[in-house]
Amino acid sequence: MSGSRRVSAFLFAVAVVLVVPIGAADTAIKFTDVKLKNGLRVIVSEDHSAPTFSIAVTYNVGSADEKVRRTGFAHLFEHMMFKGSENVGPGEHFTLVFNNGGNMNGTTNNDRTLYFETLPANQLDLALFLESDRMKSLDITKANLDNQRNAVQEERRLGLDNQPYGNTYERIDEQAYDNPAYKHSVIGSMDDLNAASVDDVATFFKTYYAPNNAVLSIVGDVDTKRTLALIEKYFGPISRQPQPKRPDLAEPPHTAERRSTIEDSLARLPQVDIAWITPPAGTPDFDALDVVSWVLSSGRSARLNQVVVREKQLAVFASANNPDKRGPGLFQVSAQVAPGKSPADVEAALLEEVEKVKTGPIHDWEIDKAHNNGVRQQAAAMTSTLQRAIQLGEYALFYDNPNLVNTRAATYEKVTAADVQRVARKYLTAQNRSVVITLPKTAAAGAPTGGAE
Amino acid sequence: MIRRLSAAAVVCAFAAAVAVHGEAPAQQGNPAKAAGTVLKGRAPVNKDVLKVSLPKAQEADLSNGVHLIVVEDHRAPQVFFQMLVDGAGGYYDPPAMAGLAGFTAALMREGTTTKSSEQVSEVLDRLAAAVAVGAGASSAFATVSGNGLTANLDTVLSLMADVLMNPSFPQAEIDRYKARTKAAFINQRTQPGFLAQERLSQALFGDHPLSRVAPTPAALDALSREALVEFHKAHYVPDRAILAVAGDISLEQAKTKSEAVFGGWQKSGASIAAQTAPASPAAATVSFVARPGSVQTSLRVGTQSLERTNADYDALTVANRVLGGGPTGRLFSHLREEKGYTYGAYSSFNATRVVGSWSASTDVRSEVTDPALTDLLDEIRQMRAVPVPDKELADTKKALVAGFALSLESPNAILNNYIERYIYKLPADYWDTYPSRIEAITAADVQRVASKYWAADRLQVVAVGDQSKVEPALKKLGVVQAFGADGKPIK
Repeated sequence: MSGSRRVSAFLFAVAVVLVVPIGAADTAIKFTDVKLKNGLRVIVSEDHSAPTFSIAVTYNVGSADEKVRRTGFAHLFEHMMFKGSENVGPGEHFTLVFNNGGNMNGTTNNDRTLYFETLPANQLDLALFLESDRMKSLDITKANLDNQRNAVQEERRLGLDNQPYGNTYERIDEQAYDNPAYKHSVIGSMDDLNAASVDDVATFFKTYYAPNNAVLSIVGDVDTKRTLALIEKYFGPISRQPQPKRPDLAEPPHTAERRSTIEDSLARLPQVDIAWITPPAGTPDFDALDVVSWVLSSGRSARLNQVVVREKQLAVFASANNPDKRGPGLFQVSAQVAPGKSPADVEAALLEEVEKVKTGPIHDWEIDKAHNNGVRQQAAAMTSTLQRAIQLGEYALFYDNPNLVNTRAATYEKVTAADVQRVARKYLTAQNRSVVITLPKTAAAGAPTGGAE
Repeated sequence: MIRRLSAAAVVCAFAAAVAVHGEAPAQQGNPAKAAGTVLKGRAPVNKDVLKVSLPKAQEADLSNGVHLIVVEDHRAPQVFFQMLVDGAGGYYDPPAMAGLAGFTAALMREGTTTKSSEQVSEVLDRLAAAVAVGAGASSAFATVSGNGLTANLDTVLSLMADVLMNPSFPQAEIDRYKARTKAAFINQRTQPGFLAQERLSQALFGDHPLSRVAPTPAALDALSREALVEFHKAHYVPDRAILAVAGDISLEQAKTKSEAVFGGWQKSGASIAAQTAPASPAAATVSFVARPGSVQTSLRVGTQSLERTNADYDALTVANRVLGGGPTGRLFSHLREEKGYTYGAYSSFNATRVVGSWSASTDVRSEVTDPALTDLLDEIRQMRAVPVPDKELADTKKALVAGFALSLESPNAILNNYIERYIYKLPADYWDTYPSRIEAITAADVQRVASKYWAADRLQVVAVGDQSKVEPALKKLGVVQAFGADGKPIK
């Protein structure tokens, strides 16, 4: 054990952040933010309210980094990280975590790949050993690749191909983006998954799964000094690699609306999806667009529900969403068409509500709602060590600012009604828009019909 | 969290863990003997199971009989409320109106004697707070839940009380609800999971109230304002209600605030009908639901389980975890990690006052329906035929007991433990003795409950998918009863 060794001897830089956010001094999340000599960024935050801790390892690689004809690779690779390393057998990682009372998973999106565990407080060594062994020495074999390729292809069938509207989500991305980075789904195409080779896996691992391309965050019932010493012991010896280049995420300007109609043999009601290219997360305009999405669709009082679903009764549901992305985002408005109503009428009603945000008044209560949503988000993070570990890691990786866990809520307090109208006018334009209409494919004989009719 | 992600945006190593069983601390795990997993045994494991004591809930009774349970947690400035009303769930639907409890619950939010649906929504949304009412299709309980920031507690609690005690059931809202629910009926029949669950529940429970998974279209058509008013009046009474509270609040504060808003809620004195146990299915059956266009087969194998107070509950908890509790269960190890048939394979069970259901489930590509079903049934057979090896049993028990520590992080999980204890009249020290009870389960116990609850002649098999790929596999098991996606038999 290296617990008695001096921590600072092993650390490249030490910056202890003690944070006092505006108006919430007693609930501020305090953390230590340091870098090992090999470039691994480490964030530790003590919380002794329950005998547990959570660890998150956030790698700076996502589906946006994938090469053409290798879509789905970042996520397929994530599965390989559970198939064993030098000192850990295939499946042993999750077996050890679950058998010792823990929970774990891995997850991939456009911009990052994340591995996490929550464990009883006395299993810190176990968690660090497991995460460091696979960062250092992943065991890459053809048999493991084929096995997980099957699991991932079933995951694709389960989540997309066997679900009504499943393929609509892929069409939206394909149509709305020109830059290949975000143009494809995270899970990728069946053909590309079949084409993935063992060499691809080995190269990907060496390129992206290096300590200098990751953030390790730990939150919970741990001692910071001892934890840093253990992290140095397990992760310190892992070699740094050349820093991989981040993909160019820039999206060329769009000049005209894009539009398509797809047929879906599993769907029984039409659906309308409208998407606009927007600025990256973490920018002031993005925060204001969050508020636009809340005005349109947060809670049952929101405009799309109130007008399109309740008053006009055109849609079964109608919602807006402004997902976080490091590059150009996609602000989306979606509605499922009520029986007997037309997709064209639904689309017109959705766009009418978007126009009203640009030109009509934004009510005080709608701005209050946005400010309170920010506070609720922060409160939600406080009650789970895992949520905090994930946020600290992502904020460090995406914005070089883990302290956003304490300050993000306050950024919404700066958003005014004028900001909301300004960003709606600037980004939610016709030329920036992409529309996908999904129509139920005419049922074959014996196909399911609505049982209620 | 408020932010939502599109369905395709996040992809995980495993599906989100299935609720393992109704209530006990739900983690999952177990060692693996299947070829999909290899244990090198070099990782540093702390052999001690952390001794933890369950934080105590505080309990009291309100003057009108409502039982109050509070778990304090001051980490964040927010409070969660849950009012459980026994006798107001779908179990107590009139036989000809399957769905009335659910309709009543859904419409209580749509206006009170002093506020419109819009006014209720605007107040709550402005505060980023919530009040919701729900009643499970076969549950004994309806639930009125609420949450909000500490600063807004009084407003949220009084709105919650208004929704609970003074719903006005406006006719215009009923009409809107009917139209919306008809569309929901269409949508649910596109989901393989719904079709499988509906068919399995029918196979397990026949016409008994526990078979209900959704309202019937006939009940929706027959729905009237009078029926809602009457159901609300008869079933939403404080006599059998529990108010569970977790968060930034003390027992005294909760009691004072609850008396203030629920004090005028009058006792009824009427009793509810006792629940009755459903008949056991006469034989094992095999059912197929046609879903043209399916690229996967949704397989379900189920049986009736047991009453929550049955002495076999703990042993079945261990047995279920060995077989299908999460990514370390035998089903996952074999069907996914070894064979690659599926993204996930799990089993789970629940228990009620009279009985419950147990089922194993997996979704596999259509082409491997036959071998996947064979392997699934074989894993169940192994549980009956062969005692669980010592190490696998010890690992499973450790996983359950050590996992208890994790539940302590969530005040809502702690609260649910106490609600469960209260509802089923379990002993006062029920959760304190949980670790020792699990430790005491033997391999013989596991084999006995597996043989009893998963006997071959009890297994009800359901498959949803493409007819040409699925029926040949099912026919090997016996006579296949076929259904359309409308839920009706086809020949």
